[in-house]
Amino acid sequence: MWKGKSLLLGAGITVAIVIAFICTMSAFDDQALSKTSDQTQKTVMYRADIITFDNMDAFGKLEKPKAVFLHDLHTDALEKKHKDCVTCHMSENGRMSPKFMHLKDIGPEELTKIYCDNCTKCHSETIAAGEKAGPVKCDDCHRQRPLIKSSMVEMGFDKSLHYRHLKAQKDHCEKCHHEYNEKTQKLFYAKGKEGTCRYCHKKGTQSNKMEKVISMRLASHYACIDCHQKTMAMQMNAGPVRCAGCHDATEQSKIEKISHVPRLKRGQPDNVLINTGDPKSRIPQMMRVPFDHKAHEEYNDTCRVCHLASLDACVKCHPLTGSTDKKVITLETAFHKQGHQSSCFGCHESKQQDKRCAGCHAVMAKDGRKDSAACLRCHMVPLPERTGVLSTSKAAKMARLMPQLWKETFGPIYRVQVPKTVVIKNLMDRYGPVEYPHRKVYHAIVNKMQDSKLAQYFHYSETTLCLGCHHHSPVDGNPPKCENCHGAPFDKNHLDRPGIKASYHQQCMGCHQRMGVTKYLSCTSCHKERKKELQVSSK
Amino acid sequence: MTISRRKFLGWLGAAGMSTAFGKSAAAATHEHFTGYPNSFAILHDITLCVGCRTCEDACNKVNHLPPPDKPFTDLAVLDKHRRTTTKAYTVVNKYENKGPSKGPVFYKKQCNHCLEPACASACFVRALTKTSTGAVIYDSSVCVGCRYCMIACPFEIPTYEYDQVLTPRIQKCTMCYPRIIKGQLPGCVEACPMEALSFGKRKEMIKLARMRFQKHPDRYVDHIYGEHEMGGSSWLYISGTPFKDLGMREDLGVTPAPQLTAGALSSVPVIAGLWPALLAGIYAVSKRKEKIARTEKEQAVAAAMDKKGAATTQTEEES
Repeated sequence: MWKGKSLLLGAGITVAIVIAFICTMSAFDDQALSKTSDQTQKTVMYRADIITFDNMDAFGKLEKPKAVFLHDLHTDALEKKHKDCVTCHMSENGRMSPKFMHLKDIGPEELTKIYCDNCTKCHSETIAAGEKAGPVKCDDCHRQRPLIKSSMVEMGFDKSLHYRHLKAQKDHCEKCHHEYNEKTQKLFYAKGKEGTCRYCHKKGTQSNKMEKVISMRLASHYACIDCHQKTMAMQMNAGPVRCAGCHDATEQSKIEKISHVPRLKRGQPDNVLINTGDPKSRIPQMMRVPFDHKAHEEYNDTCRVCHLASLDACVKCHPLTGSTDKKVITLETAFHKQGHQSSCFGCHESKQQDKRCAGCHAVMAKDGRKDSAACLRCHMVPLPERTGVLSTSKAAKMARLMPQLWKETFGPIYRVQVPKTVVIKNLMDRYGPVEYPHRKVYHAIVNKMQDSKLAQYFHYSETTLCLGCHHHSPVDGNPPKCENCHGAPFDKNHLDRPGIKASYHQQCMGCHQRMGVTKYLSCTSCHKERKKELQVSSK
Repeated sequence: MTISRRKFLGWLGAAGMSTAFGKSAAAATHEHFTGYPNSFAILHDITLCVGCRTCEDACNKVNHLPPPDKPFTDLAVLDKHRRTTTKAYTVVNKYENKGPSKGPVFYKKQCNHCLEPACASACFVRALTKTSTGAVIYDSSVCVGCRYCMIACPFEIPTYEYDQVLTPRIQKCTMCYPRIIKGQLPGCVEACPMEALSFGKRKEMIKLARMRFQKHPDRYVDHIYGEHEMGGSSWLYISGTPFKDLGMREDLGVTPAPQLTAGALSSVPVIAGLWPALLAGIYAVSKRKEKIARTEKEQAVAAAMDKKGAATTQTEEES
């Protein structure tokens, strides 16, 4: 029996220990919870001038959470004391470095020392002078859950801003644009080679064999702020130097925009005839595509919308023939890729989401299959000889004249006889007939196209407009009746073909919904309810 | 009778073995049942629904349900989320659109007609049965009113006529079983002006859903709700708004409800049938052991007594 007793005692003690352990753990948990709820109670502030010291990331995992630094707050505080940027920033080659009291990110210990010592030194001195100052304790800067969060918006250099700088710098491109000479390890200016900063300055600083290409972030802060400050020092009108000036949403919207920006001079062509193969070859190939480069410059805010990696011709990066190398994107893919803003197809398709276009275009399948007739809108058939523009003419001339002459020859023609009203009465039961104002709707759609060059180009004749409703029909203005295809619902052989009743409702109501025509969405707005005795139930 | 520790452990072991070698859980239910091969299904394309409540109206008429408090043309009813009742087998609810299109979204709720219904598996009188058409139908003549089906249903569909004192019934959508066997469409499907409800063979409805995904990848969440949920159902849903935002449960898993209980329930016959025999056997064995031990003991005692007796007589004789 003694053995049993001792076993029981042992079990009892173990259970007691476990219970005690669980209790203390939950108590700790409670403390942790109450701590977080305390913190969330304090309202989180949003500011655009937050800086986190990301340069420390290069040295691996950090000991403490990143400190949050409010730059504009410090600029203002120093200004009051008649101190300037030099208090914190050193200069290199006559340019102020955006780094804090150092020029190169030497090592983790050194950097920690530079940041912590200098920050706390200034803060404690200010406190000693009886003024308000920032933290002096580690954890007040390195907070697990910072009380201030970033509302920073990215800044970009659009066409308008570029033009304003160009004007201010009196067309001296070399003030900003440069190339890098690997041999001499120096920056130099090359005329006609200018490109977007981001072609070389990527998201992070990149170390190559010879050179070190600094990140876009660092490069823009070096170049922009330094220049703005110098301009300001000359008592001239200059761009922002404070964080919020560029990165605050409201401040950003205040930046002056020029509505009509003159064309950039970078030696780009007005019109391009895009080859689909060797033009001299006798092997059959797709028709060449005339492309209006000049017009497309106006539609976009920056060159890099289309020119992703360089300002060279598309074919330089996207070859005409495919390769086993997965990285190679053919010209065909680059131009026809769906859902990509940089491809012709992707960008044009995104325009179809406009309220004015979505009524018809949203119904159309997005499975990448296109009617082969649509190919010819871009891959244009050479002009007839009588026009004087021969297929042997210069490419630029052809590219310029082909669309123009074809338009003059063939369109746009809107001459189809559209019936004034169509009465839909074969489905009458609960509701009476629908008097569909066919011509009115047609003209409304034509009107919606008027200010869109894109829509007018692709809807070169009215028959293309008819296809919005009269889908899968010949493009000759004589469409079949809806009932020819749509009959009873749930046809096994045509699973996705709605019955006649649903066809009307899906087509009309779907279009009204997508185009924002809210007036005709209820049942009785199109057909009146019939008297009970007239209703013949199909059941 | 006192039970020794060794004996108790022996029993426990024997019982464990008998259960372990019993039927496996999966074998108790169907072997990967994927529904009746030619059963029907209804595909509800939530992106097409306009919330006109015509389906509710039609459902009311074909099932001869009492007229509603507010007419079916009153769309203000949609502002409040409703559930199915004994007087409305189906309800349309309005939700905020979190998909790519504009405007509110409408989701029609009714019995999902699961391929392996939890309600039918919970019903011990077989008042609820899954038919080969796909419809889960109810027979009020055998129902005892236990309402286990209401607890079992993960979609909270069956309702009970609490107001009927003498003949309360369970009420839910019948998938218009009487109409489908006659070759007619379910009431709601026939009435829907938008074909937001499609009716056909289940496998074809799944094909149709996939066709729509392929044609309009930007419009849909790439998932057919009901294809696999709780083992699959005869109502299928496709939507642009995530299903959880339409109040549809996404935590159900793909295991049919009966399979979840089959393991535990399959051991009932084993325990009920085998255990008494086993325990009786063990009891008999131990009884016999005891009996043998007692006889042996008695014999030993007798022998000892005999020996002692003999010795006494010997001494007596000696003295």
